[in-house]
Amino acid sequence: MSGSDTHALRSDLALRGIFDAAKLDTCISCGYCLPACPTYQDTRVEASSPRGRINLMRALEAGQLEENDPTLQHQVSLCLGCRACEPVCPAGVPYGDLLEQWRDHQWRGGRAPRIVRLLMRLTGLPGPLLSVQRVARRYRRTKGVADAQTTHYLLGCVERGLFPELSHAVAEAFPDTDSPAAQGCCGALHAHNGRSAWGARLAKRLGDQLPGTILTSSGGCAAHLAQHLGRDRVVEVSEAAEKATAGGTTLRRLPLRTTLQDSCHLRNGLGVIEEPRTLLSRISDYVELPSAGTCCGAAGTYSFLEPVESRQLIEAKIAEALQLDVDVIVVNNPGCLRQYRLAVKQARASVRVEHIAVLLAEAGRPSTGTAGPGRSRT
Amino acid sequence: MTVTPALAVDVRALLGEAVGEPHVLTAPGELITYARDATATLGVTPSAVVLPTSTEEVQSVLRIAHQHRLPVVPRGAGTSLAGGTVPLGHAIVLSMARMRAILEVSPREMLIRAEAGATTQSVIQAAADVDLLYPPDPGSRSVCTIGGNVATCAGGLRGLKYGVTRNYVLGLTAVLADGSRITTGGRLWKDVAGYDLTRLLTGSEGTLAVITEVTVALRPAPSFEAVGLAFFDSLAHAAAAVDAIVGSGILPSTLEFLDGQCINAVEDFAGLGLDRSAGALLLFGDDGEPDTVRASMAAMADHAVAGGGKGLRIAKDPAGLEELLHARRCSLPALSRLGAVTILEDVTVPRPAMAQMVRLIEEAAARHDVLIATFGHAGDGNLHPTACLPAGDAAALRRAHHAFDDIFTAAIALGGTITGEHGVGLAKLPYLASQLGATQMDLLRRVKHAFDPHGILNPGKLGS
Repeated sequence: MSGSDTHALRSDLALRGIFDAAKLDTCISCGYCLPACPTYQDTRVEASSPRGRINLMRALEAGQLEENDPTLQHQVSLCLGCRACEPVCPAGVPYGDLLEQWRDHQWRGGRAPRIVRLLMRLTGLPGPLLSVQRVARRYRRTKGVADAQTTHYLLGCVERGLFPELSHAVAEAFPDTDSPAAQGCCGALHAHNGRSAWGARLAKRLGDQLPGTILTSSGGCAAHLAQHLGRDRVVEVSEAAEKATAGGTTLRRLPLRTTLQDSCHLRNGLGVIEEPRTLLSRISDYVELPSAGTCCGAAGTYSFLEPVESRQLIEAKIAEALQLDVDVIVVNNPGCLRQYRLAVKQARASVRVEHIAVLLAEAGRPSTGTAGPGRSRT
Repeated sequence: MTVTPALAVDVRALLGEAVGEPHVLTAPGELITYARDATATLGVTPSAVVLPTSTEEVQSVLRIAHQHRLPVVPRGAGTSLAGGTVPLGHAIVLSMARMRAILEVSPREMLIRAEAGATTQSVIQAAADVDLLYPPDPGSRSVCTIGGNVATCAGGLRGLKYGVTRNYVLGLTAVLADGSRITTGGRLWKDVAGYDLTRLLTGSEGTLAVITEVTVALRPAPSFEAVGLAFFDSLAHAAAAVDAIVGSGILPSTLEFLDGQCINAVEDFAGLGLDRSAGALLLFGDDGEPDTVRASMAAMADHAVAGGGKGLRIAKDPAGLEELLHARRCSLPALSRLGAVTILEDVTVPRPAMAQMVRLIEEAAARHDVLIATFGHAGDGNLHPTACLPAGDAAALRRAHHAFDDIFTAAIALGGTITGEHGVGLAKLPYLASQLGATQMDLLRRVKHAFDPHGILNPGKLGS
């Protein structure tokens, strides 16, 4: 049927066992993922697309490429892990799982970038845990062991380190939740950076520490926990607020024009798309950011590992948001919060960047007559 | 491990001068991702990939290739289902991925001019923005390129009423094997000066020239659209209804069918509430002025019921329309979950022979013990028998090839073709001679030689 120099059938090659073969086999190379992939749209090069990366994974698995191959090393890091390829994939390729397996292998032992290893170790140190206790004091007191009836708020690592005010806002917006001081890292950082077994262990442990429903303000944590504990045990801030307002909680309308940047893992991993938009439309003058569904370049550790690509992505976003003339750019993930705040500062723009929980807390307060830093609109 | 002959260093440097150093890829990892397209089981690693941004750069690349007698394979988005872009002979892949601008939209002349790498979707969208329609809509339109569509004469769901890509190509800019540039046709519907090279290049699969710019004609956008669905006991019954519909003078915009295996695969995948016991599902639809469409829908529904159609549904609004069309659109993804390797073919026969062709496909599948499900464009006799195989099963792959041998032979015997819209590519080249005959094959070779005397363009394909 074909020329003599065509590739050998996969069965003729010894496989290395790096990947779950059944998952790797699901890709039919149709290429429907190409328009959805931010790194392909930027580079226009096949290896920077999900289809190309899967062909790289297959070549690695079959021993056609050595594991120190520079393209493998470059692409394993250049992929944002935003999973925008998953919703558009007709064949249902679990790309996020394959990327975890790829990084498990490519970044095993000391091969992971130094900054990544440092961050992963930091999550286990007592310093960050102390800040957990400080933040946790704001919450309802829980006696002894956390119970399975209460919704427990997960104090994400980025949030407790950089944005404690975000945790405070969640405490204010969800007074019925508690946040036990005894809680570790969910392990998303580890799973996304070549330590999926470690990440799974941490998720399970956190599931034991916070039995019942876990409330989170982080898209990455939410998707990772849902993968290991089950979707029904995880609720993200805007999902919870949507449910609460349907149940009678009233929110005031804020005199603000807002737009939203989706968290990739909420959108592509968990399908949380409408909830934050419904809420923002209710409490503010909401306009859609045309590129809301594509990655802002924060992508966990990405802004450290691929600063150039990361900056390109966020600069285009800021320009787009400024065109909309909004008062607040709203995000639903702490990593995006950091990425947007840095970029707004660098661009010397005057737009606010807030996590949706902060606006929900604001909208839950009775009006004080002053509208805060935003402009009022008719 | 595949051994790819390395490109001579001076050639690499020359290509770098032609398109810019960063746009010449030669790393083994980069190259391996261009070895294949959307065709399972076929792949060859290229010796280099170049990504030009202009017709001039394409000319420079071909001058180098011509001088050094290096094979070159143009590539759009790599969505071929026939191995059309597999770089035989470790050719240089010429990716059009960076040439994707819509150059001109002219509502007054009802045409669009675009670079070859523009996605079909972007052309459709640019037309829609001025309330016009670019009708060809291949399933991969969100990713495939207009240049690739022309090179393969891509079809789609609207073929019966609106025709295929060739019916819309007004003019081309292309680069010949020696690097010289030609423009064929232009902006005119009427133009008979010389041989119709525009048509010759349409469907030439990158073997005659590299298409760099395309001018396509547009149509008025229909104001109203409707679609309906009916189940039949067998594909033969559905085919008879199709015959009755078209025979009565109706030219529907949609006339698609799925066989019983597809219905069940789609139902497992999407849970649309389809009748799992049915042997066939027929989708019928039309577009145009509301009154005309309503009348043709009613007539088609009557023909369907008279032909034994059951469970009739007509979509009343755009949401319902999408839901019904979804059953057809998700056929391939649904089937792809039945086996890791899907081989999707596109034999096409005259419409009256369709029922017979379907039966012959079923017989071939049973004879060779292969799971083959069939869906397709009932209106134009274009069938998509799809084999679903487990990964890495060489014996199953052999059996599938035997089944397709029989299917291609049967299609030719019924006055049909081995490929309606996917192209011959690499996968169907062995069957081409039995359809065209020795005289025509010889003519094809002489045409190829006239355009490309050293055989550097997409070697080993059509007419090589």
